[in-house]
Amino acid sequence: MDRRKFLKTAAVTGCGLLIGEALNYGTSPSEAAEKYDLAVAHGAGKSPSEITKSAINAIGGMKRFVSRGDIVVVKPNIGWDRLPEQAANTNPEVVAAVVKLCFEAGAKKVKVFDRTCNDPRRCYKQSGIEDAVSSLGAEVSFIDERRFRDISIKGQVLKSWPLYRDIFEADKIINAPVAKHHGLAKLTMAMKNWMGVMGGQRGSIHQKIGESLADLCLVIKPSLTVLDAVRILTANGPQGGDLKDVKRLDTVIAGVDQVAIDSYGATLFGMKGSDLSYVKAGNAMGIGSMDISRLKINRLNV
Amino acid sequence: MSKQVLRKISQGLFLLLFIFLFIQTESKGHDTLGYPVRLFLDFDPLIFLTTLFASRGGQIPAGFFLSLITILVTIVLGRVFCGWVCPLGTLNTIVGSLRRRHSNPPDAKWHRAKYYILIMLLVSSVFTLQIAGIMDPISLIIRSFSLSIYPLADNGIRVLFDTIYHTNISGLVGVSEAFYGLLKKSLLAFQPLFYLQAVFIGLIFFLILGMNLIEKRFWCKYLCPLGALLGLCSRFSVLKRETSEGCTGCGTCADACQAGAISQNNETWSNSECLVCFSCDDICPQTAVSFGFGRHKKQAMNLGRREVMASMLSGVLAVPLLRSTPLSKPAYSNPDVLRPPGALDEKEFLKRCVKCGECMKVCITNGLQPTFLEAGLEGIWSPRVIPRIGHCEYRCTLCGQVCPSGAIRRMPIEEKTKVVIGIAMIDKGRCLPYAHAVPCIVCEEMCPTSPKAIWLEETVVRGRDGKELIVQQPHIDLDLCIGCGICEAKCPVGNRAAVYVTNIGESRSKANQLLL
Repeated sequence: MDRRKFLKTAAVTGCGLLIGEALNYGTSPSEAAEKYDLAVAHGAGKSPSEITKSAINAIGGMKRFVSRGDIVVVKPNIGWDRLPEQAANTNPEVVAAVVKLCFEAGAKKVKVFDRTCNDPRRCYKQSGIEDAVSSLGAEVSFIDERRFRDISIKGQVLKSWPLYRDIFEADKIINAPVAKHHGLAKLTMAMKNWMGVMGGQRGSIHQKIGESLADLCLVIKPSLTVLDAVRILTANGPQGGDLKDVKRLDTVIAGVDQVAIDSYGATLFGMKGSDLSYVKAGNAMGIGSMDISRLKINRLNV
Repeated sequence: MSKQVLRKISQGLFLLLFIFLFIQTESKGHDTLGYPVRLFLDFDPLIFLTTLFASRGGQIPAGFFLSLITILVTIVLGRVFCGWVCPLGTLNTIVGSLRRRHSNPPDAKWHRAKYYILIMLLVSSVFTLQIAGIMDPISLIIRSFSLSIYPLADNGIRVLFDTIYHTNISGLVGVSEAFYGLLKKSLLAFQPLFYLQAVFIGLIFFLILGMNLIEKRFWCKYLCPLGALLGLCSRFSVLKRETSEGCTGCGTCADACQAGAISQNNETWSNSECLVCFSCDDICPQTAVSFGFGRHKKQAMNLGRREVMASMLSGVLAVPLLRSTPLSKPAYSNPDVLRPPGALDEKEFLKRCVKCGECMKVCITNGLQPTFLEAGLEGIWSPRVIPRIGHCEYRCTLCGQVCPSGAIRRMPIEEKTKVVIGIAMIDKGRCLPYAHAVPCIVCEEMCPTSPKAIWLEETVVRGRDGKELIVQQPHIDLDLCIGCGICEAKCPVGNRAAVYVTNIGESRSKANQLLL
């Protein structure tokens, strides 16, 4: 994305956010629950955790998604040995805020894990996520190869695949991806984040990335998706490394429909959902809706 | 408490310290390890001296000067390092205790063998050949533990718990998994470890331990070059063993002596052989033996002029012999030997690497593997990166941190990420977008440099049905690739990857370059 396009998007998004706030004045979480498909919280200079809380409140509050006694899996992107400011992993404060809200909503146990690309120890530590959430009482564990189970998917491309058992044993799943650039998929956000629970030679799915990711979403159905756009990585993704490629948007997007979230996420980069193969495939397969003009979006300024 | 009990406690504690530091030689995800894991190597004067000689005044890591303490202590107290500290010595003592009876003290001339070995190693190091690490006991035990014994034990325990896990008996699995979890947090490796030559290196180690069944502390008495070096130092020691007039010459002490330092009837005692274990002091039925300080009569150390000459000569000859390989030609190097980042230029590297295996133990991906003959006999058991086993993790600098001799430089992350260990090339006959019109970008996705050294070109290709398809074909930017090998490691073309790294372009070499 060039600078002009970016500024344009940012301006449009900004105006949207202002209008959103005006409309949102006085709504309580429970009212919002019925009304909105997507919540977009923006808070320039505000802490990622405040922005995250606002977004989740604006979509109905965590109690809408997590019940007392639930075992919850929160799946951030911890794929890379990078620091939080490099925006290759989900912002640790965003993950921590989600975990905290889960516990406040009565979750019995919150599990956090990812099948990383770099060394898991470095990814967990350097991303800041391990330290941020284990102090809250979440169970942060490394992937245990024995816990992959062949799951029947019956998709267009993926007939079955070894997927991480904990996902299917949990009462609730929360997807907590970060928005960033990707060489093949163009962008990686919510749907692509599920590669982190795939076992085996998962790299092969790049051969048919759109259909494969949509197939994956046939069997992995998160209750809530929280897209971290506090910092987005606009180039050299998915692991970046250069701060020049990082843009600070101070935005968190929450919703249930992963296709819609990714479709909205694309606009942050000056793209449309239909530019992304997996969003199109997900839309076509009825997993979600990529037409954001028909969504009710709760935009608010923190 | 008798002195012998004190000695045993000391041996036990130092062995535990050794094992603790060994287990801590593993990443926890931070940039540094947090423990002085190479402490035993720092205190080792043999690899200090040989490195000092071989590297000819090159920079010596500061930690190495700690080994002077070992020399000083030996000069005062004799070979207490061997008797009270050395972890290999302690293991030898333990295995030796399985053998009930001591053998008769053999001909004292067998003791000389270790001095000949020492002379050979020192002389060859003066002529720039560093092979002391092959037999240095600390290098040897760390290498054997790292590459063989520990992975063996670790994998064995894993198999046991995995077997229980797969029984699916709920109560049993719960208990065993809880216990397994504790072991994983404490003693076990983070991931299953596999090393080339593990069996070979392990057999050598077991052979050394097994020799204790022929004779207790066989290695320490006859073979250990560090023992020999400390034996030379202890000739000046002020430790003195005295026998009072009550001695009946019964020979009990000579039988109990761990080192064969006492002659059959307790007529002579050799302070360069004595390990200060106090067995004789404790066992003497007449309590006639005591240790004290004072000048003692210096015994001539009769190594034999011819034998000394022969060992010196073999030390000299070893240099051209081990280097008579095409690898000595300046323009030739084995393309597959990727040295870890920070490794000195090959010649300098070999002058320093003591083959202790610390770097391979700490390598976060298990990709650092011991060479066999790929780097010549001189380079046996030195480290090389084999990306298909494990790539060089971009932001990891641990190998340089644990290297005791400076063969691998210690570098900050910013510097390390610029060091080129090789360059990746694409095998277009195997690469999916090139050869088979199948989309794939895994190498590009994984490439850690910024901007990425692997870039994609959109190209129109045709499948068998003649249909046009746009794929992204990867290219390597020679200016940016550092040869970390993550592309090769993660390439979805199984077995032989469609992208692979050779050592061309490595920063450390002037000759092995590609670009103008």
